[in-house]
Amino acid sequence: MSEPISVDAPGAAPPLSAAPSITKPSSGFRAPWKVWTNRVFTMREDRFFLFLAVLIGIFSGLAVVCFRIAIEWTQIELLGSSLYPLVPRVILAPTLGGLAVAVLVIYAFPRARGSGVNQTKSAVYVSNGYIPFNTVIGKFICCALAIGSGQSLGPEDPSLQMGAGIASLIGRRLRLSQEKVRLIAPVGAAAGLAAAFNAPISAVLFVLEEVIGTWSAGVLGAIVLAAISSVVTMRAFLGPESMFRVPPFRVAKPGDLLAYVALGIVGGLASLIFLKWLAHARPRMQSLPRWTQHFQPAVAGLLIGLIGIRLPQVMGAGYPIIDQAMHGQFTWKLLLVLAALKILATGFSFLSGTPGGMFAPCLFIGAMLGGAVGAIEQHFFPALPGTVGTFALVGMGTFFAGFLRVPITSVFMVIEVSGNYTAILPVMISSLIAYGISRSYFKVPLFDLLARQDGLVLPSVEERREQLILTVEDAMRLDAAVVLEPGDKVADAIKRAEGKENILHFLRVRPGEWNLLERSELERLAADASQSHTVDEVKSKGPLPFVFRDMSLEEALHWAGDWPALPVLSRADLSKLEGALTLDDILKAFKKVPVG
Amino acid sequence: MSSSANAIAVGKKSPRIYSREAVLFSCVVLLVVFVLFTAAVSRMYHKQIHVLADKWFDRGETSLRAGDIKSALTDYRNALVYSPDNTKFQFHLAQALAAASRGEEARSYLLNLLSESPGSGEVNLALARIAVHKGLTSEALRYYHGAIYGVWESDPIGMRWQVRRELAEYLLDRGLQQQAVPEIIALADSTPANDPEQLRAVGNLLLRAKLWTRALDLFRSVFSANDDDEDALRGAATAAFNLGQYNLALNGFGRLPEKDRATPEIAEMYQTAEQIEEMSPFVPGLSREAKAHKAASALAIATARLQGCANFVGQSLAVMPPQTSLQKAFAEIKEIESSGSWQNMAKHPESVDGLMAHVFELENAAANVCGEPAGVDRALWLLGRSRGVTAQ
Repeated sequence: MSEPISVDAPGAAPPLSAAPSITKPSSGFRAPWKVWTNRVFTMREDRFFLFLAVLIGIFSGLAVVCFRIAIEWTQIELLGSSLYPLVPRVILAPTLGGLAVAVLVIYAFPRARGSGVNQTKSAVYVSNGYIPFNTVIGKFICCALAIGSGQSLGPEDPSLQMGAGIASLIGRRLRLSQEKVRLIAPVGAAAGLAAAFNAPISAVLFVLEEVIGTWSAGVLGAIVLAAISSVVTMRAFLGPESMFRVPPFRVAKPGDLLAYVALGIVGGLASLIFLKWLAHARPRMQSLPRWTQHFQPAVAGLLIGLIGIRLPQVMGAGYPIIDQAMHGQFTWKLLLVLAALKILATGFSFLSGTPGGMFAPCLFIGAMLGGAVGAIEQHFFPALPGTVGTFALVGMGTFFAGFLRVPITSVFMVIEVSGNYTAILPVMISSLIAYGISRSYFKVPLFDLLARQDGLVLPSVEERREQLILTVEDAMRLDAAVVLEPGDKVADAIKRAEGKENILHFLRVRPGEWNLLERSELERLAADASQSHTVDEVKSKGPLPFVFRDMSLEEALHWAGDWPALPVLSRADLSKLEGALTLDDILKAFKKVPVG
Repeated sequence: MSSSANAIAVGKKSPRIYSREAVLFSCVVLLVVFVLFTAAVSRMYHKQIHVLADKWFDRGETSLRAGDIKSALTDYRNALVYSPDNTKFQFHLAQALAAASRGEEARSYLLNLLSESPGSGEVNLALARIAVHKGLTSEALRYYHGAIYGVWESDPIGMRWQVRRELAEYLLDRGLQQQAVPEIIALADSTPANDPEQLRAVGNLLLRAKLWTRALDLFRSVFSANDDDEDALRGAATAAFNLGQYNLALNGFGRLPEKDRATPEIAEMYQTAEQIEEMSPFVPGLSREAKAHKAASALAIATARLQGCANFVGQSLAVMPPQTSLQKAFAEIKEIESSGSWQNMAKHPESVDGLMAHVFELENAAANVCGEPAGVDRALWLLGRSRGVTAQ
């Protein structure tokens, strides 16, 4: 009825099917509760997993709501409610906030350091999905303090880790199997990110692209459910509005898209500069004496505060400023300056080890760059469709794709955060260009690089994406078999194989049922002078499992070991043989592929 | 449910084991508590956010009223941080931006608002004004029409009337009279008959669009309701003057207070109307002699104007046969003079009309060559026009 759960973990529960049944009548609240829990626990584990995904989604959504409110409150308390805070606050808030964050991270929440994406990824691949709940609390407090005090970081990546942490806790407490605990962390991550971004599709894609690194059908349903339930929860408390509001526009002529090609190039180059700087500076910051970690966030805060005296827009996550940029509130010169200074400020915050995310700064930088490019282009080509806001919106996706190397996520993210589908073509073009530039000149994606700098070798999605997947077609032999029908003469079979080396004799019993005849048997019967033997008399192996030419070789390998040869059949006609495949063919094909 | 054997097997350091039911029950309880907690926190947060948003918006309004647009902009932006979807805040910010001559920035907010509510009269009007400022006529027309046919929260009829009036004025300012006429006519049709102020405004637009007959009718209706209405009197007199009803115009201008009559435009029309009345032999009630005398005077004035004009352009009027229009007109007059019929006009009053027709032709010929006349010649020329003699 149900699959038993793994009992290899200490103290693991007995199989689900062994859940107690109701044997005696209960009264009051206990009766329905028993019935309900009994139903839940007697579910198959995959269904129970989906149920848990909803639960995790709601918990994550609630946590993100509280997190966002905490950031807002901290910001109002420390920097004031104006977009242009007073100078003493601008200097003191990020500096003292940085000092407090450093103390918290060093002495109370050491795992709260960093953005949260790699920590979640390493939890999946290194710690079997284990994320201590202390990390969730630490992330909440430290990030709220850091972002609220004006550090140039965002709340999305921490939300992702908080969601993963909540999921991990629930999974552990419910003593799910090791595999499920490992899978449940990304489910929570998607829920956290979806709620933080108000963008369930982007969150699902990001988690699949960056955290899990593969399109796993087994976990996709749970991730989608968690993302949806978290977004619904978040919207119930914070409202359903999109993060940004940009009027729809129409690309009138194909030539108009050239404007976004330019944006893609600028975005790609900017992301490259930022990546190179972080890659170069981070190991140097890490090599500084340990005691400096007490002051690094404070120094970063001070530097940001100094920038903030003239341009307080670069402080914090910067969503209201992105909104202003989308409404064309800045000149192109100011937009460029803001983009450059935000790169600087975010670099300071990130390199100092202050906990916080990179998503919001990426969106900020991209929006400013996009706005600037748009304003310049519209100055020279006033007939270009769209507003500066449109370019800012597309710029967000562009920089995001170039910097984080998640092109698919970036396209959907732009659509979701703006609720504007008209931008899809421009954002696809510019994101792909930025992604291409970034990938060409900076080989390792950011999160992989950070992991390697931290001494972890986590699976890279980009590497997987580029891996050559061998199919049956790459290994099968086309003329290596003779197809025989029941009733065929053995002599004819031998005759048809004359002059061919290592020929296989497949007997087509009926469509989809193929046997392999033994060559020695055929030869023995053929030697008989009567010549009246048919292939039905030959000893055969089968029915054979069959493969198709587009199947992966890894899949074919499952059967190839048990059978001397496999027929490669047509998907349209199971009575048609397209080739033959042996274990030797498979191994030869694998050997041809260069390693690394 | 928990396996004590397993717990013993892993020793004392293993985590405490709870049954799944207990964990799930705890989860549900925690979830309920968490929801309640979040609801309370969220409620407090929203309350604070609304207070902050309203505070900044009120400050913005105060700053704007005080004429401090820069501060108003900052305040509105601060308000939008706490209520980014508030269309009222966005609209006020856009208006402040437009007031600060930052039309492009205002336009961006307005376009966004328009995408959310394309039928908003206010937003369309604000966009139309920005387009006017930028000199984008077709865009301005589109948004003005959007405002006219759009939705207005309060006093939609009044607001639509105002917008159409603004549109008509804009079109007249741009010299787009052909496009202005249907708007003004529609405006006149939608103007309530009991609102003299609006009627006067429409009347002035009709005058600007040279729709004299409609203007005269409209001003007459206003004046009939209140014969002290000087604006209506002035408008009616102006319309009458342009319609060639000089007697009526003279009457209207004459009833205006002295200070109103002193304005250059009115003064000129009044003086011209006086001259026309003085020179016109067609005024009812004149004696035959007076008619003949006025016609003879008119002929003398027109002949002098023709000669002056010929001298000005260096033409001799005595050339035979006549070549130019001036020479032809002069030759005709000379022919009439030689026939001597005009000298017996007192006996033949029917010949006054024929003579005056020649007078008007003389004035027209001179006007065609030397431009519009002034003074008494202008009076004669206008009189001719009012009687259907137009320049070629």
